Amino acid sequence: MSAQFITDAVLVLVILLNLGMLASSRLATGVKLFALQSLLLAFLPLAEEVLEGQSPGLHAFIIGAGTLALKVVLIPYILLRIIRTGEVHREVEPFIGFTASVFVGALLVIGSFAVAMRLPLPMVPVSKLIVPVALSTLLLGMLTLVSRLKAITQVIGFLVLENGVFILGLLLLKQTPLLVELGILLDLFVGVFLMAIVVYHIRREFDHMDTHLLDALKES
Amino acid sequence: MILVRVIAAILEGVLVLALPPMLMSIVVKTKAWFAGRTGPPWFQPYYDLHKLLNKGAVYSRTTTWVFRAGPIVNLAALLTAATLVPVLSSHSVFGFAGDVILVAYLFALGRLFIVLAALDTGSSFEGMGASREVTFGTMSEPALFLSLIVLASATKSLQLSEMIGPQLFAARGAVGPALLLVVGALLIVLLTETCRVPVDDPATHLELTMIHEVMVLDHSGPDFAYITYGAALKFLLLGSILLHVAFPHPAQSPWIDVPLRVIELAGLAAVVGVIECSMARLRLNRVPLLLAGATVLAALAAVLALTGSVT
Amino acid sequence: MTLFLLVAVPLVFGALCLVLPTSPLRMAALVAGAWAHLAVVIRSWPSVETPLRDDFLGLDPLGHLFLTLISALFAATSVYFVGYHRKRLISQRVFQACILALLSALSLLCISQHLGLLWVALESASLAVTPLIYFRLGPRALEATWKFLLMNSVGVALALLGIFCVAIATTCQRNPVALTIADLVRNAAQLDRTWLRVGFLLGLVGFGTKMGLAPLHSWKPDAYGEAPPPVAALMAGGMTLGAFAGLLRMFQVCAAAGLSAFAGSWLIVFGLISIGTAAVFIVGNNDYRRILAYTSVEHMGVLVVGVGLGSAGSYASMLHAMHNMLNKGAMFFLAGFIWRIYESNEIRAVRGTLIRSPLAGVLLLAALCATCGLPPFGMFFSELGIVLAAAQTGRWWVLGIFVLTLAVVFVGVMTALLPMVFGDLPENSSVSEAELPSHRWRRWTMLGAATALLALGFGLGAYQPHAVRDALARAADSVCRPQAEFVTLARTAEVQP
Repeated sequence: MSAQFITDAVLVLVILLNLGMLASSRLATGVKLFALQSLLLAFLPLAEEVLEGQSPGLHAFIIGAGTLALKVVLIPYILLRIIRTGEVHREVEPFIGFTASVFVGALLVIGSFAVAMRLPLPMVPVSKLIVPVALSTLLLGMLTLVSRLKAITQVIGFLVLENGVFILGLLLLKQTPLLVELGILLDLFVGVFLMAIVVYHIRREFDHMDTHLLDALKES
Repeated sequence: MILVRVIAAILEGVLVLALPPMLMSIVVKTKAWFAGRTGPPWFQPYYDLHKLLNKGAVYSRTTTWVFRAGPIVNLAALLTAATLVPVLSSHSVFGFAGDVILVAYLFALGRLFIVLAALDTGSSFEGMGASREVTFGTMSEPALFLSLIVLASATKSLQLSEMIGPQLFAARGAVGPALLLVVGALLIVLLTETCRVPVDDPATHLELTMIHEVMVLDHSGPDFAYITYGAALKFLLLGSILLHVAFPHPAQSPWIDVPLRVIELAGLAAVVGVIECSMARLRLNRVPLLLAGATVLAALAAVLALTGSVT
Repeated sequence: MTLFLLVAVPLVFGALCLVLPTSPLRMAALVAGAWAHLAVVIRSWPSVETPLRDDFLGLDPLGHLFLTLISALFAATSVYFVGYHRKRLISQRVFQACILALLSALSLLCISQHLGLLWVALESASLAVTPLIYFRLGPRALEATWKFLLMNSVGVALALLGIFCVAIATTCQRNPVALTIADLVRNAAQLDRTWLRVGFLLGLVGFGTKMGLAPLHSWKPDAYGEAPPPVAALMAGGMTLGAFAGLLRMFQVCAAAGLSAFAGSWLIVFGLISIGTAAVFIVGNNDYRRILAYTSVEHMGVLVVGVGLGSAGSYASMLHAMHNMLNKGAMFFLAGFIWRIYESNEIRAVRGTLIRSPLAGVLLLAALCATCGLPPFGMFFSELGIVLAAAQTGRWWVLGIFVLTLAVVFVGVMTALLPMVFGDLPENSSVSEAELPSHRWRRWTMLGAATALLALGFGLGAYQPHAVRDALARAADSVCRPQAEFVTLARTAEVQP
């Protein structure tokens, strides 16, 4: 069990969690799967530095800790709270059914592997899986975002999409200054916080969290 | 030297034929142990088989020869498959390039005849069971084949005994996480094909919820014995394929290899028992999602292996 | 020091807005903050320093130009808002603080030379504007807010992905490249082309969502229609410029790496689609603020088409950016005024502005002419410049589609909105609160701010001072020409005046 194998396995697990989110109909399960995925990702910066034969630096530690605090604890806590206070706990049958969306998701994963093969990295990556996994996480997040009706699920889709960007960012630990990365994390948190507030207002306004009833605004 | 090998092969063959009912017994015992019961005696499946074989068979007048052929063809197909699959050691009795396809289709042939026999009775219950069996079988087949593709690409071979033999042990590092995905997919395939819990409940006696059991309601005596034994044999074959992938053994003496594999098989049966008592059968319309999951796992593994993304 | 002040001044005044006890004091803080910012910006002209390769912040010609435009718009809006505001449910403090936070974020965006920092500033800006859209409360505003938040978050995430791709493109080199514009441009020749292309396309989609380029514009009519008009003015004239600045930064790097043909053609495609989409949706629309939103989509399209045409068009594009700010500001100010008088979004309900409020009618007519690019308003010259640039580079297809779609927009806007100016007063129209004699000062502030912007647009169209032309030209040059070359040019120009 080399560190390499573990990194690869974690990245594969990240894809599986994505597909799991597509398949789960309970809102709370989706949030928990997202938290699990973020937990896996939080340790990747450390693993990466270990793989390159150095002791983990402060930079990797702070990024890991920030991810842990925000994406594993704080954001899931907020989302779970919203779900718990509402009456609806399940996604209604979405535009694309659960089984179908898992298959579409699998096709997207295969597609992103195909795309990643055509995009050779200019450097030697930690794991060859990073680009395809980042792409497929991104695409699956987007799929969740467009194919589901509940506002909470759409927020989860956005968060998954953001996780995809995070995975690609793993390649660039040395290029991006710490300040900027912290800014990115903070912005993400504030964004999700705002979304949570808006979801709360949507529920108060319409007594539910379905976004397909948000269709008053269109061309007259 | 050759004599030793021949003796070892014969012993192994006997063991393969004798083992399946014992595995069923382990599953039942595990479930009983978890429920705090003693359960039936260890050799109960053997007693049952013996009893059934000594009974006569009753055939409905509406049935034809298809009904009688069903259990026999099924058992024959599975026994043939057993000669091609490396069950306990890493060698099969026969083997040629491309035999994986034959094995997969022998399983399908066996299923086909069970289904035909069920339809032959004209009973609506058995027709329903047959329809479910075929539906789920169709859905688990892609997962099986995609898993085999992964193994073939990892070992560069189409012969089953090489695909899951010592060659896989050598190639295991290069395939990495893909193998884990294949194991997951094969486990779901195993549970589906052998009609175990998340898909079907072998212990249920409500015709509306059963799949496998409802198909064989009309079989009696020796026919039913063939079917029961065939199901157990199928469990052994698929289980050993799963174990060969999950724990590839290096090339070593059969005296170490075979006992180790038997212990692993017993462990697998225990795991299946644990699954059976720790979760409920899935709602029928959720089963496709599970099988889709298996297919996706295998597809992902195939993508990983074929694009060589894993170092 | 200037750079620090640019970001800090609005933040300090924003904090003041949060703590001050009475409404007039808070209003004073808002106005003071915006004007203090404008003062700092004006003092920073003319700047000759060029950012070094390790500087995260710096005033390059492009950023400086955009910063000035945005600051001027905020100053005008702060005055307008004094006349516009009324008691509302949502906390007035938060509203004002958010406006100043938006100004701060946009300033940071304009002066940031590091792509990552730029992204942080852009995301902060969109977060600051979200509560502003929800200002009016109610289901419609909520829907607009949700759409804006979701689409922009996704767009901004894609922009971040694009920036990461550019960063990956730098990793093929031995010596590390900082992600600052100056450094990227200097080392552009050695960047990995494939990843740079991917990065640019993702950046185009991401920043394009933020700008409201079709087909990623669907949040725009909703947000502009539901947000209070001053906020819509800030978004249409200010925030879009910020996103455009981000896009231009990416384009700068691509152009320096020799990919300007590739990047340019994508910009042209997106630009033409935007103008076309705007043309389609303007015709027959019955909500004047949504029509204004679609003209914003159209103008964004014009901006990117101009840049896509290369150095010939980028000057026109800069000119257009300036006039877009002035025009969108004035237009939404007037829309807000009309909304206060008629209390309706529907064109049907708004008739005879010329009779009911003659000054507003005249201003609206002028603003309409400016929007559609009639001379002598500046947009005529910028659009003409783009047509000429297309002809120069021999892209007749672009020229044809550009002119045709602009003509459709012209007809659509005029047929839809002219009845608002002329036409007869609708019967049984009651006198609204804003028309009471005691509210005269409100009317004057609102119309005053609109007049100032329109007059500026008219003046800059008719006569362009040398300083303005120079600033625009420098910004346009820095977009399309490798920075290093540009710096030496600027230096020699200074030596021999």
